[in-house]
Parts: sequence; C-alpha cells; structure tokens
Amino acid sequence: MAMPNILARWKMAPTLTLVGAAILLSAGIATALYQENLYSAQKVREVTVQAQILAASVTAALDFNDNVAAQEYVNALKANPEMQAAGVYNADGLPVASYVREGRTRLPAKVRSPATSVEGNQLVVSVPVAHDGAVLGTVYVRSNIDTFERRLTRYGVIALLAGMAALLLTVLGTSQAALTRANRALEARAGELADANLRLYAEMEEREKAEDALRQSQKMEAIGQLSGGIAHDFNNLLTVIRGNLQLLERRIGQGQTDVKRYVDAAVEALKRAATLTQRVLAFSRRQPLSPRPVNLNRLVEDMNELLRHSVGETIKLETRLTADWWIYCDANQMENVLLNLVINARDAMPRGGTLTVATENAHIGALAGDATGMPEGDYVRLSVRDTGVGMSEAVRSKAIDPFFTTKPQGEGTGLGLSMTFGYVSQSNGYLDIDSKLGQGTIVTILMPRYDSESAALRA
Amino acid sequence: MSASAALAEELPLEVAIKATYLYKFAPFVQWPDEAFPTPTAPLRLCVLGNGPVDKVLDEVVAGQRVGQRSISVQRFRNARAAAGCHIVYVAGTNDGFVAATLAGLHGTPVLTVTDLPADARAHGVINFVIVGNHVRFDIDDTAASSNRLVISSKLLRLAHAVKPRP
Repeated sequence: MAMPNILARWKMAPTLTLVGAAILLSAGIATALYQENLYSAQKVREVTVQAQILAASVTAALDFNDNVAAQEYVNALKANPEMQAAGVYNADGLPVASYVREGRTRLPAKVRSPATSVEGNQLVVSVPVAHDGAVLGTVYVRSNIDTFERRLTRYGVIALLAGMAALLLTVLGTSQAALTRANRALEARAGELADANLRLYAEMEEREKAEDALRQSQKMEAIGQLSGGIAHDFNNLLTVIRGNLQLLERRIGQGQTDVKRYVDAAVEALKRAATLTQRVLAFSRRQPLSPRPVNLNRLVEDMNELLRHSVGETIKLETRLTADWWIYCDANQMENVLLNLVINARDAMPRGGTLTVATENAHIGALAGDATGMPEGDYVRLSVRDTGVGMSEAVRSKAIDPFFTTKPQGEGTGLGLSMTFGYVSQSNGYLDIDSKLGQGTIVTILMPRYDSESAALRA
Repeated sequence: MSASAALAEELPLEVAIKATYLYKFAPFVQWPDEAFPTPTAPLRLCVLGNGPVDKVLDEVVAGQRVGQRSISVQRFRNARAAAGCHIVYVAGTNDGFVAATLAGLHGTPVLTVTDLPADARAHGVINFVIVGNHVRFDIDDTAASSNRLVISSKLLRLAHAVKPRP
C-alpha cells in the first residue's frame, strides 16, 4: 500500500529538515569562526611586518640621532587608516618619534620588546630596532584589527544565518500546524461523509420499503378492482353448485339413482373455484423483486383465466402471442403490469368491446431508435389494445402522472400507470400510449430481449 | 655659567657624538672585498692629525663592534701610512694639510671623514656639519665611488647634503 509509506516519509521530513538546518547553521558558524581566526592571525602578521619594516628603516636614524628622519618614517604609517599609533624609542627607552591618530590613544612611556598583545579590537606590536646585532631602540605600533565594517559584516552574516534558521523553523512550524489542522479538518469531513453515507443507506432502505409497500398496495388495488368480477364469478360457481345439489336432493327424494352427473357438475365448479382462489392468493402474496428470464408468451397464457375473469362477459378478450424471444424481468411485476393494463382497458369499455393482448418480436433500428429513444437492438413488444372511449391528447399526456385518474373519487388511486411506467423504465424498457377519442387506446411496451448467449458473454 | 664654561661642557657632547659616528658609519659602508682579509678582521679606524675627537675616540670605541668585527684605533702622521685603514678621520682644521691628505688617499678604499666648514678647499667622503642643534654630515658620493665605496641609501638619506655619484 503506497499511501502509508508516503505518509510516514512525509512525517519524517520536518525532522530531517530541522536536522539539516541545524547542521548548516553549525557549519556556517564554524566556517565564520575559522575565517575570523585566519583573519586575526593574518592581521597580526601584517602589523608585525609593518613594525619590522619601520624598525629596519629607522636604524640609521636612531644610530645618528636623526629624530626628524625617524619621524618621517613614522609619518609614513599614517597612510594606513587602521594604524592608531606608532612610536620609535631610542636605546634609553625614550620616544624619539611618534604618531597618534586623533589623540584617541597615547603612546606608552616605556616599551618592552619584542611583544605582541591584543587589547579589544586593537593589536599592539613592539619590535626591537637592531643593526648588526646591536639594539638601537624599539618600535611600537598599535593597529585596529577589526574595522567597524568588518565587525558589522561578521555580525550581520551571523545574524542573517540565525535569521534564516529562525525563518525556516517558523515556516516549518507553521506548515506543520497548518498540515495538522488540515488533517483534522479532513478527518472531521471524512466522519461527516461516513455519517451522511449511513443516513443515505438508511434512506435507501426506507425508500425500498416504501416502494415495496406501494407495489403491494398497487397489487391490492388491482385485486380490489378484480374482486368485483371475481366475486361475481364466485357467485356464479356457487349458484352452479347450489343448483346441482338441489337437483341432487330432488332426484334422490324421487328415488332416482341416476344422479352422478349432478355431483360431477358440482365438483367441477368447486375445482374451478379453488383454482380461482389460488390464483388470487398467489397474486396477492407479497413478494420481493427478483428478475429472471421470462417467456412473455407463457406468462400471458398463464394469466389467461385471471384476465378473462377480470374483463367480464361483455368484453371479448383476444390474444395474439407471436413472440418467442425471452425477456429479463420480475415475473410478478410483469403480471401486475399486464393486469393493470387490462383493467384500464376494461374500464374504458363500459358498454363492452374487444380487448387484444399481443406479443411479438421486434428489432429497433437506428432510425426507429430516434423516435423511441431506445438503443438499437432486439426487443419483445407487448401491446394491449381496447376499443373503448379513448383519451384526448391532454389526458393522454398526463396519463402516466402519479395520482392522475379519470375515474370518479373513491375509485382507483391513479397510481397504476405511473407504477407501470416506472417499472418498465427500470427494466430498461419503453412504454407508449396511443389513443384517439371515441376510438380506443393502445398501450405498447418494449422490453429488451434477453439473449442468454450474450448475457453469458457479458457476465 | 660663563659662556666659555658652557661651551666647554657642550663641546664634549658634540665631540663624543662625532666620535661615535665615526664607527657608526661603518655598517652603512661597503668596502671592496680585498679591504678585509677575513670576515672577522678588525675594522681599522685611523686618525690623522690631532683634535678633540681623537682624544675621546678610545673611550667611545671601547667595547664596540661593527657586526662581527672589533674596532682597532690607530694614529698616523701621514696618508701613506694610513693606506690600509678603512676609515680615516682627518683631524684638525688646517686646510692645506687636510687637502694634501685627502689627495693622497684618493682612489684608495678608505672612508675619509673631515670636520671642515663648507668653504674649505677639500672635504672627505663624509664631512661633519652642525645643523640646528644637531650633528649632521654631508656625503660626497662621487668621492665614495672614486674610492670604490658603496654607501647605503639609508645613510645617504640621513645626510644633510649629498653630492651624488656620477
């Protein structure tokens, strides 16, 4: 995992930089001190040499008591701005020539030589004047070894170094603090995000539950729609059973034994009632969405009984099932959809009519794709056509809106078509309503073909 | 103090100085190689004639050395006898005597020192002169070069007047 390594190394960086800065600073100071030492030693050499040159020059002057000449040599040192004082002493230790800059210092009365000493930032050198082994006198020289500019530069450089180190530390400190703050802010943010995520999941769960409940209620509503018809059918079956039992009673009362056909008829009716009950129960059972390959034709055929019962006797139910491609969907939901459409069609034909349910294979090419908005490919088309009252364009355009219904209050929630449309869209399908007032409506659904081979390749 | 007494007291200082200068000149003068047989051969300081300097010379020179050389003081009566000296102090103020002596020593490697006024007929290579209150000297570098002597510039610089060599 690359991230922890980078983080670890990043944490080490400030320490490393600190160490590096400390080393640089020490090296800088050490170099500066070494330079100072070198400079001091060099300066001592220089001044000593100057004193020695002066001594060599004044030998004759001292020899011959020519103080004027000696003074000339001493005056020559004035040219050196760092020379603060110079003096020539004779063999008796008395000064015979001297120079003092601006009266800041005084020449000592007696001088011992040779001698070298440092007083503050001044160097004092005294050197014997000798000629041919005889000591004629002494030369005394006092010089600045540290000009004001040099000291300023030295302190300035050190101050600069220290300042830079301080700056570096400050920058490091600030950036570390900023980094820590940023990290904490990030953690807080991550925490917030995690919380938000949890809330989102919770909401999604809630939504799913709500959708489940809605689907269930839709189903119940459909069943509610059915129940009228189903109760009617049940009633008929019960009437058949009662009638047959009554006949059975009468014939037995008359002493006849040829009664089997009455029993058979009653049993047949019972069977049909049981089947009907089971179908309704199966339909109403709460089931979660589980898409699987579905043969639409078979689904429609299986629902045939139920559909016939829902449309009633005044409406003729036709089926034209030519599709042999499969689709991939939740079978229960598809049943729901079909029932919904059939019930809507029935409701549109109060005085009876023809209801046609058709399936066929369909291929949507590029051009047709533009019209439907569906990608090019194979589809199964399911259409439910009625010859009922139809819808105006205004109504048609609002048909799939939730809670929109043309039924009187109390009848129907108006959710059926919107839920149908939602489910079809979710399944990557397409739904279209075509209607003409007074002529009828046709609802078309396109579901993508389930191709087991290509699905296996895709998986 | 009477003038003569003061003069008498001053005179010894001037005389002593001149006497010391006589051997003090030596380190600043370069003789030709044959003038000294060995590196430690003594410096011969000779006096021709009589004078006050002559009287204090022995005292002043006692114990002094010029580098490695000791100083030997000798007195002679004529130039010829003083030919082997290194420094010859021609004492006295007798103009004619001095001029003759100098002529006799001319061309020999001898540093001739005189103590004559400026208008004298002849002067030695070095001639004492009083400037202000100090004993100074004039140097005739032409004569020095005739005598094959090289005089250090340090001494030349100290001189009151220098006649440069050609």
